Formats: sequence, C-alpha cells, structure tokens
Amino acid sequence: MKRTLVGDLAILLLSLAVIVGSFGSYGDIKGKPEVHVRVGNQAFVYDLSVDTLAVFSGPIGETSIEIVGGKVHVHDSDCRNKVCISAGWISRPGQWIVCLPNNVFIMIEGRLTTDEGGVDEIAF
Amino acid sequence: MRSLSKSRPPMRLEFIALLGAFALFLSTVEYLIPKPVPFMRIGLANLPIMIGLGLLNPAEFIVLVCLKILGQALISGTLFSYVVLFSFGGTVSSALVMYLLYNLGSRWVSMVGISIAGAMASNIVQLVLSRYLLFGESAWLIAPPFLIMGLATSIILGIFTQQFMKRSVWYRQKASL
Repeated sequence: MKRTLVGDLAILLLSLAVIVGSFGSYGDIKGKPEVHVRVGNQAFVYDLSVDTLAVFSGPIGETSIEIVGGKVHVHDSDCRNKVCISAGWISRPGQWIVCLPNNVFIMIEGRLTTDEGGVDEIAF
Repeated sequence: MRSLSKSRPPMRLEFIALLGAFALFLSTVEYLIPKPVPFMRIGLANLPIMIGLGLLNPAEFIVLVCLKILGQALISGTLFSYVVLFSFGGTVSSALVMYLLYNLGSRWVSMVGISIAGAMASNIVQLVLSRYLLFGESAWLIAPPFLIMGLATSIILGIFTQQFMKRSVWYRQKASL
C-alpha cells in the first residue's frame, strides 16, 4: 500500500513539473511589444517604440503602415474596401489588423505586465 | 491463418461488449458537459479502459481502445473530421502508457498514478498534435490550463477506479479468472 504511494507521488510530481514547465510558454510573448508584419510568406518585425513608416507590396498593390508613439495603423492601402485603414490604431499586444485583399497581416506581440493593464493567465 | 487464429486465446466478448458499451455511455454523459474547446475532455470514457486493464488480455484491450475511440467519435459527431485524430492520438498514447504502467509497475503505482500518467500522456500528445496540425506555436498557450484540468480530473477518476477495483464484487470475481 505504502509502496504504491511512492510511484503515485513520483508521477504526480513529474506531472506538476510538466505543468510548471508549460507556463514557460507565456514567457515567449513577454517583454517589449513588437510589431509583426506578415506579407504573403515574408515576415517583418518592427519595434513598437520606434516611429516608422513602412511600405509593403502585396498581390494587389502597396500597403503602408505607420508606427507613431507606440501605436500602429495602416496609413494607406491599395485595397478596395479600406477595411484595414478603418481598423484604426492598435497599441496592445494581441491586437491585430489584417488586409485580406493585399495579404498583409499586422500583429503586436509581446506582453504588458499586469500592473500596466495587461492580461493575466486566465484571461487570454 | 487458421492455425494462427486457433492458437490465439478466445476473445471474451462479454467483457469487451460491457466495457465498450460503458465507454459509449460515458462519452454521452461527457458530451452533456459544456467545455471551452471540443477536445478538452474530462476523460470519463477512460474509466472502462482503466477497469479493462485488470480484466482483459492485450488483444481484448486493443479492441476495447478502438471501440472507445469509435464510440466517442460517433457520440460527438467527429468521426470524419480532424478532431478524431486528436482523440485517436490521445487515447492510444494514454492506453499505451497505462497498460505499460499497470503491467510493469503495478507494485509501485496505484490506479491514481496510472490515471494521472495516462491523462498527461493523452494531453501532451494532443497538444503536440495541435501544435503541428492546427495552431502553430500559439498552441502552447493553452497548455497550462489544459494540463491542470487533465491532472485534476484524472486524480478524481483514478481514485474512483481504485475504489471500484477494491470494492466491486463483480470486478474481484472477474479479475481472478
């Protein structure tokens, strides 16, 4: 009876170690927010805190994004409905803008700490 | 072929049918319980598999595992969708781990430990599958709640199975056969 407890405890501890280790997946998106831009099968990374104007060419024309003061938006795009421009400014990790016709995907990665108003573990 | 099938021990259909039906029924019960993502399961249907550990020979055990996968997929309506891949991967890996633990380490682990190990194996395989088939790197984000949930439910199921094996007269009679 006692002996089976040893194995059970070993398995339990191993499982707990795996669970604690799995929280490491949240570490990958911690830190300084970055702007990830995917155009077709190319990917670009920009620092959200550096003001930038970048132009990408997709299948139907050019899409330009602008980073100003920690926020990013689509400045201009050759697509028809301009949904991406209407999406406005994004500034928080996890937010994204996409221009489907021109195949441009903009996403902010990185994570605000909880006292900055970021999400906690159970709110993703 | 004929000589091969003669030398094989006979399939005891009563066990397979009973435990298979049990798995089907528990899949139905589990399907009633709301959950955030379709493949986050409580694992009720693993109960007959754990009980089968002590009753069935390897061939019967494999048949039972197949029945469980089939029954669960039929009940949840995912038989011909990609979700069945997750069910298959999870069930096969957990059944394998539980079978090995039961037969090689039953002096060292109780059904609780076997249940936890089975649940972890199943969940990890499903996470890896969703990493490579569906979501990419962001699949790991779901890992902590997914694993914690599996750990909690598997402990409860394991305690239940342990008690069942200890107290059920039916089980004691059949297991000694």
